[in-house]
Amino acid sequence: MVVVDDGSKDNTFDMAKKIQGVEVLKHKVNIGKGAAMKTGCEYAFSKGAKAVIFMDSDAQHSPEDIIKFTKALDNGNQVVFGSRNYSYGTPLVRFLGNKAASVLISLLYGIYISDLLCGFRALTLEAYKKIKWESPGYGVETEMVIKTANSGLKHCEVPVAAIYLDKVKGVTILDALSVLLDVFRWKFRK
Amino acid sequence: MIYLLQIFAIIFSLGMIYFALLHFRRGEITTVETGSWALVWSVLIIIVFFPDVVRTFARTYLYTRLFDLLVVGGIALCVFMVARSYLTSRRLEKKLEEFVRKEALNNANKKK
Repeated sequence: MVVVDDGSKDNTFDMAKKIQGVEVLKHKVNIGKGAAMKTGCEYAFSKGAKAVIFMDSDAQHSPEDIIKFTKALDNGNQVVFGSRNYSYGTPLVRFLGNKAASVLISLLYGIYISDLLCGFRALTLEAYKKIKWESPGYGVETEMVIKTANSGLKHCEVPVAAIYLDKVKGVTILDALSVLLDVFRWKFRK
Repeated sequence: MIYLLQIFAIIFSLGMIYFALLHFRRGEITTVETGSWALVWSVLIIIVFFPDVVRTFARTYLYTRLFDLLVVGGIALCVFMVARSYLTSRRLEKKLEEFVRKEALNNANKKK
C-alpha cells in the first residue's frame, strides 16, 4: 500500500509511517490530487506493481470494494472506474452535476462513465503509460476518462459504496467549473 | 481639472518607473525588462505633456479622441500582460510539480 501525503499540515505522514507494510511518500508542498496520484503510480510501478488501485484519503471508499477492482482487472480490463450510486448517499446536487458531466463527456468523446468524479479506480501499467495525465488537480479524473476513450483502452465500471463522514468535500464549485473548462480544452488538444 | 489629471498621470508614471528600477536592483527583472517598462512609462509622460504629438497619429488611425487611442492601447497591453503572466505561472506550476514529485520519490527510495 502506498500513501501519498500531498503537503498536508496534519500528522498524516507520521501516522501512516507507523503502519507496517505501508510506503509513505510526502510532497513538501500541496500540488494537487492529480500530481499525488502520479507520484503514487510511479513509485508503485517502479517497485514492480502490474496495476494500481486508487482510493481517496477522506475514507469515503470502502476497502471491501477492492476485490471488485481486482476481479475486473483479472478479466482483462485496463482501466476500472468506480461508480457511486445515488442510493449510497451521494448528495443530490453532486449526483445531478456528475450525471450532466457524464452526458457531456459521452457526447464529446463517445465514452459514458456514470460517475465521472469517483476517485476509486484502477489501472494497469500499460494503461498508465498511455493515459499518463497532466492535470495536477481535480481535473485528473476527467482527463483519465477522456484519455481512456482516446486510447481505446478496455475499461469497465464497478459499483462502489460511498461513505460521507463530513460535510466538507474536496471538490468545490470553482473546481467543478475548472473541470468543465478542461473537458472542452481536452477536445482541442492533440 | 485637466492639469490635475496630468499631474496625477505623471506622478503615477514616475512611481511605476521607480518600481521597475526597484525590482531591477533586487535582481527580479532583467535590464531589457527594466528598459522596456521605463520606456512605456516615459512615453506616457511625453503624451501627457505633449498630447498634440500623438493627436495626429490618433486621427490617422481613425481615433477621434486621443483618450480612445490610449484606452485601446491600455487594453491591448493588459491582455498581453495577463497572457504572459498566465503562461509564466503555468510554467512555474509545472516545474514546481516536477521538482516536488521527484523529491518525494527520491526520499522514498533513499529510505530503503
